[in-house]
Order: sequence, then C-alpha cells, then structure tokens
Amino acid sequence: MTNIPRLTSAVASCLRIAISWMSGDEMNPAAVAQAVEDIQGDDRWMSQHTRFVQECKDAEPEVLFIGDSMVQLMQQYEIWRELFSPLHALNFGIGGDTTCNVLWRLQNGELDNIGPKVTVVWVGTNNHEHSAEQVAGGILAIAQLLTSRLPKTKVVVLGLLARGEWPNPLREKNVAVNSFLRSWLPRLGHTQFLDVGAGFVHSDETISTRDMFDFLHLTAAGYRAIAKPLIDLLLQILEGTPEEKRASLV
Amino acid sequence: MSSEDSNPAATPTPGVDTQGDGRWMSLHNHFVSNSKDKEPDVLFVGDSLVQLLYQFEVWRDLFSPLHALNFGVGGDATQHVLWRLSNGELGHISPKVVVLWVGTNNHGHTAEQICGGIMAIVQLIKDKLPKAYTLVLGVLPRGKMPNPLRERNAQVNKLVQEAVSSLPHASLLNVDPGFVHSDGSISHQDLYDYLHLTPQGYQAVCQPLHAHLKGLLEKQAEN
Repeated sequence: MTNIPRLTSAVASCLRIAISWMSGDEMNPAAVAQAVEDIQGDDRWMSQHTRFVQECKDAEPEVLFIGDSMVQLMQQYEIWRELFSPLHALNFGIGGDTTCNVLWRLQNGELDNIGPKVTVVWVGTNNHEHSAEQVAGGILAIAQLLTSRLPKTKVVVLGLLARGEWPNPLREKNVAVNSFLRSWLPRLGHTQFLDVGAGFVHSDETISTRDMFDFLHLTAAGYRAIAKPLIDLLLQILEGTPEEKRASLV
Repeated sequence: MSSEDSNPAATPTPGVDTQGDGRWMSLHNHFVSNSKDKEPDVLFVGDSLVQLLYQFEVWRDLFSPLHALNFGVGGDATQHVLWRLSNGELGHISPKVVVLWVGTNNHGHTAEQICGGIMAIVQLIKDKLPKAYTLVLGVLPRGKMPNPLRERNAQVNKLVQEAVSSLPHASLLNVDPGFVHSDGSISHQDLYDYLHLTPQGYQAVCQPLHAHLKGLLEKQAEN
C-alpha cells in the first residue's frame, strides 16, 4: 500500500478498494477469504462447496442466494418452492459461514459459468471474532467481488436480524453492522441494502419462538414475513430491466 | 463402562453461552415453563435433529396428534441433554414415552463414552419417570462419503443396542431408512448438509417411527 504513487484522489481510492479486496485487506480480517477447516471429521463444508460448484456448471440461475444458515434453511421450507424456485434461484447457503468463508467460496468456483440477474447476500451474524465495522467491511468486500465478477448482476444485501430472546450485545452489534451497510452500500454501484428485520422484536423487547425457533433461526412463519419485502424487490429488479425503470429505484 | 466422573459424555453440563446472546439457557427455560401447563403423552428430547423436526409439516401431521412435546436444542451433546433433564425439563410432566435422539454432536468422545452418556440419560428418565418408556433413536450416518464419524455413530448404535437389550423400559430403534447409497454416498436430498434432514428425509425417518410409537403408546395404555 505504501508503494502507490501519488495519483489523483479518485483514482487512488479506486485502486485502494481494488487492492483491498484482491489482497484481503490486512486491516480487516472479516474481508480475508478463508475456507472452513474440517474439525469434526466428515468434511461436510467442502462437500457442500463442491456441490455448489457443480451446480454452477449445470444451472442457469436468474437469482443467486449466498450466505449462512439463514440462506440455507430457507430452501427447506415450502416458501422456497412457492416463491423462489419459480424465479430460477440457486441457494448457496452454508450453516455457520462467516463473511470470510463466503468470500473464499465465491473466489473458488461458486461464480463460475453463471450470470444471475440478482445476487442476494445474507451473512455476518456468525462473525463472532470481528467488530461490527469489520463485519460490514467483509460484507462490502463480498458485494464488491460480486459486482466485479458478475457485471450484469444487481446485489441485494439483507440486513442482519436481531437474535437472542432478550436484548444482548449481539443485537446491538447486528444493528451497528446494518447501520454501516446502509451508508456504505449505496456508494457501490448496482448494490442495495434491504432490512427485513422489522417486527421481530416485540414491544417487550423479546423475540418469539414463533418467529425464530431458537432465537436465531427462522421458522416457516418467520421466513414468510421476510419473504414479502424480498420477493417484491426481486420482482422489481427482474422485471424492470430498461434504464428508465432502473432510474426509478432508490 | 466409565463411571459418571470419568465420562464427560455422562456428566451433566449446561450449554456455554460462547456467542453472547444466552440462547441455550433461554431455550431451556422455555422448556421448563412449557412443561408446567402441558400434559404430553410423548416427549421428544435431543439435538437439532429433534429441534428441526418441529419446524416441518411432518410434526403437525404425525406427532401433534400423539400429544407430543419437543425439547430439542441444536448442538446439544449427551451431557447437555443430561443437564437439561436434571434441571427442570422433566419437572411437571409424565409422558408415557420419551423419544431420545442425541449423540452425533459428542465431538472428541469415543463411541463407548457416547453410549455411556446415552445410558445415563436412560437411567435418569427411569429415575424421574418410573412409568415411562424410553425409545432411543439410532444416530444417523453423516458426511457425504464414508468417514470416521459414520463409524463412530454406527458403533454407538451397536453399543446402545447391547446395553438396552436387557432393559424392559427402553429400546433402540434404527430409523435410518437406507440413507447411504451403494457407492457410500449420502444425498443432499435426504440430508441437505450431510447431517440435517430435509423434509423428505424426515418423512422417511418418521413414518416407521410414528408407527412404532403408536404401538408403544397402545401397549403403555394396556399396562
């Protein structure tokens, strides 16, 4: 970084962004690509990644979902078949994944041979070693990678949900991540932030097991609630390709 | 067999809140208070394979009609279930049958230790609910291809089968319908991440389980 000659500030900042995502910004561990180590002994993470890479060879998705268990579990409920399969959506969610793991997967085959019109990113709640700012930086790095590898895609980043039955530090952290994303993402082209968390925290500050069966993962009812704003946005993006329609989106 | 002291899988241990949102204890507290106003005939207890079962239609179709409660917690190993059952989750209920499904998360424990943990739970249930029958479900194979955890889980099932064979109040039911194909692989259509069941996987497991349960409940009614 210290060897960059003095260029105009705009070019310099573009270079800085490019270099930071390419090299895995040393300042932000949440933006460093990293595979999951097989500690348990059955290699399931790599098996899932390999399957996704194979799916890229066979499928022509219009929509790609990538992220952690919030993405993965969605495919097990009826709602996936009702609302998202018809959009020709692929689901590359892996439970437990952090931003680092998603970055690694995207750099190692999960974007090969596909050209989805929309990529939905939902990750960050498992980044336990990282600060809110670092997590947001990791998500930003993912969005940057997607827009540079898939020039035709629109990226939708979903906000992190509240978690835990009662107020706790992770809820505050996820709110802070969302806050960073709200201000950073619009500066990237072709990327927007969607907050799907409204209504999960009740007036007594609790989360109900009716929405999150373990105060983290969504029930069928929980997914139904988030699907509404998400499907509306996806349809908007998929149907509104002409320049005039795109200009009307925020 | 190891005694309680030297077998970590058989030593009641609460879940540790490593993440910072207290979810494990919240769930335990929920189960304890749930048990205060319900009168289940069947109690399912165990790990995520039990917990996730509640989220799919199959629960409403097959197990709600049997008046079943679900006390599954994702990530739980035998020592966690042992702690939960020792600390209030059996407090106010007298189910006729307890369905116990746990063991796959006991990382670092040997098959013998895991069997010891399962048998400690069986004994605890007998102590707290003398009239209940405990149906232990066999631990499923996992991983896309053959691996040491599959061997460990198969060995656990073999040891538990031997240990319960002399007990009138417990038995082991193998619920694996044949998930492992002839080439040694498991399909993501059955286990979406080669560990957790899809709704289709649950159907294959639960149809025979349901039939077996109904038989047990009828027999309990006769006693």
